Amino acid sequence: MIEVRNLTKNYGARRAIDSLDFSVNKGEVVGFLGPNGAGKSTTMKIITGFMAPTSGKALVAGYDVFENPLEVKRRIGYLPEHPPVYGDMFVKEYLEFVANLKGVEKSKISNLVKKAIEKTNLGQVQTRLIQNLSKGFRQRVGIAQALVSDPEVLILDEPTVGLDPKQVAEIRDLIKELRGHHTLILSTHILPEVEATCERIIIINQGKIVAQESLSNISSVNKGSRQITFKVRREIDALITRLSLMDGVLKCFKGNSPGSVVAEISGQDDMVELLAKEVIMSGAGLLEMQSMAQLEDVFIKLTYGSVEQ
Amino acid sequence: MLRGFFTIAKKDLRAFFFSPVFYIVAFLCSMMLSWVFPIQLAQFSEAAKNMMFQQGMPQQQLNIHYGLFLRQLSYLNLMLILIVPALTMRLISEEKKMHTFDLLLTSPVTSVQIVLGKFVAALGAVFGIVLIAYLYCAWTGFFAHFSWPLLNVAFLGLFLVGAVYAAMDLFCSALTESALGSFVMAVILNISIWFVGIGAEVSDSQTLREFFEHVSLNGHLSAFVEGTVRTSALVFLASVMGLFVFLAERVVEANRWR
Repeated sequence: MIEVRNLTKNYGARRAIDSLDFSVNKGEVVGFLGPNGAGKSTTMKIITGFMAPTSGKALVAGYDVFENPLEVKRRIGYLPEHPPVYGDMFVKEYLEFVANLKGVEKSKISNLVKKAIEKTNLGQVQTRLIQNLSKGFRQRVGIAQALVSDPEVLILDEPTVGLDPKQVAEIRDLIKELRGHHTLILSTHILPEVEATCERIIIINQGKIVAQESLSNISSVNKGSRQITFKVRREIDALITRLSLMDGVLKCFKGNSPGSVVAEISGQDDMVELLAKEVIMSGAGLLEMQSMAQLEDVFIKLTYGSVEQ
Repeated sequence: MLRGFFTIAKKDLRAFFFSPVFYIVAFLCSMMLSWVFPIQLAQFSEAAKNMMFQQGMPQQQLNIHYGLFLRQLSYLNLMLILIVPALTMRLISEEKKMHTFDLLLTSPVTSVQIVLGKFVAALGAVFGIVLIAYLYCAWTGFFAHFSWPLLNVAFLGLFLVGAVYAAMDLFCSALTESALGSFVMAVILNISIWFVGIGAEVSDSQTLREFFEHVSLNGHLSAFVEGTVRTSALVFLASVMGLFVFLAERVVEANRWR
C-alpha cells in the first residue's frame, strides 16, 4: 500500500532523513518509532504530499506522491503533530468542511461525519466552537478529521499527545478497531502505545532506519537477551555475586534505586523462572521483580546506544 | 475540480462574515463616513444654492457626481488602503501559524484552488465595505436627481481597485506567518502602487512616459470615475490581480519544496 524508496530530505545543510526504505502492506498497522527529532514527522509529511523529498520517492496505492499528488491525497487521512483545526468553526461544521475538501461524495458526507463523531466520542461537543474545547478534545477533533473521508491510508503523528489516560485508552481501542479496514502508520515515542496497537514497528534514529520487525520478532533484534530488575530487602552484594555465577546470566549489577539489582539474561521464560527461584532461595527478601519491556529495551539500545546504567 | 475552490472560498467567506473583525471594520468605516458624508452633502447643497455667486468655482464642482460622490470615493479609497490589509492579513499567514495549512496542503486540492478560493473570499469582504460606502450615495437618490450608471461605474472602478489591493495583500499574507508583518507589507504595497505613475512626470522618453501612464492606477481609476469602462483599464487591473494571485500561488506551492 505504501512504498518508500531511498527517501532523503535535507533541510539546508542538515539531513533530516537519509535514504529510508520501507513498505507497508494493505491493512497493516505499523508503528513508526524514534526519539524526538529522528525524522518521523518529516517522513510522514513526505508520504502525505505535504512536502517534497530531496531525492527518492514514495508511492501510495501505486501512485507516486509527486506525480499524482491528488490521487494520493484522496486516499490519505492525516493527523499532523498539531491538530489542524479552525478555532472559529463548530466541530460538526469543521468535519463537513474537511469531508468536502477531501472530495467525499456529497450524499455520503453527513453519514461519514456522524460516524467520525461517534468513533471519536465527540457527540457532546459537536455543536461547540473548536477554540473553546480543551486540548484533548481538539486532538480528538484532529483524529476525527483524519477519519472523516474514510481513507484507505491513515497516518497519525503522535495521536495520543495531550490526552488523559482514559482518552489514551479510548484512542488505542479506536486504533485497534480501525485495524484491517485501513492501512495505518502511527508515529510515536510512547512505547506502550506501540505495543498495544501495532503489528510491526519501524525504528528510526537520526534519519536512518535502525530496525524493521514485527512486534513478535522484536526480541531477535535484541539477540535474545533481556533485562530483569529485582528489588530486595538485604544482602545485595551477596545476591549479585550469586546471580553472576548462574548459567545464562550475562551480567548482574546494582540498579539505580536503593535495593535494586539488574540482571541481564539470555533465553526465554524458563530462565526467568530459574532466576526467580534463585533469588528467593538466596534469602535476600524479594520485594519486586520486573521484566523490562522488550520493546523499550530494544528501542533504547538502538537509539541511544546502550541501556542506561 | 471546482469543488476544492468552492469549499475554500465558502469557508473563508464564512470566516469573514462570522468574525467580529469584519463587523468592527465595517462599523468604524460607516462611522467615519457618517461624519464626513453629511458635511460634504451640506457643503455641496450650499454651493448649489448659491450657484449664481460662485463665479470662480469650476463647473464640475456643481455636479453632484464630482462635488460629492467623487469625494466619497476618495475617502473610501484611502480607507481601503488600510482596511483591505486588515481583512486579508490572516488569510494565509494564520493558516500557517495555526498549522491548518497542513490540512489544506495534504488535501486533494491544488495550490491554485487554495489561493483563488481565498482571493474570491477576500473580494466578498471588499465588496461588503464598498457596498457600505455606496449606500450613502445611493441614499441621496431620495432627494436628488443624478445619473445612476455613472455612480455605479465609478463604484465598480473603486471595487476593482479594492480587488487589486486584495490580490496584493493576499500575496503579502502568503509571505509570512505573522499577521502583523503581512499587514505592514500590504499597506506599504497598497500605497506604493499609487506612486508608480509619478514616473511619467520625470521620464524624458516618450515610450517610457506612455508606459508609466498606462501602469498608473490613478489614470485607470479616473476613467471609471468619468463613467467610461475602458477595455485597457479592465485588462490592466485584471493583469495586476492575476500577477499577484499567481505570485501568491507560487509562494504557497514553494512551501512544499523547502
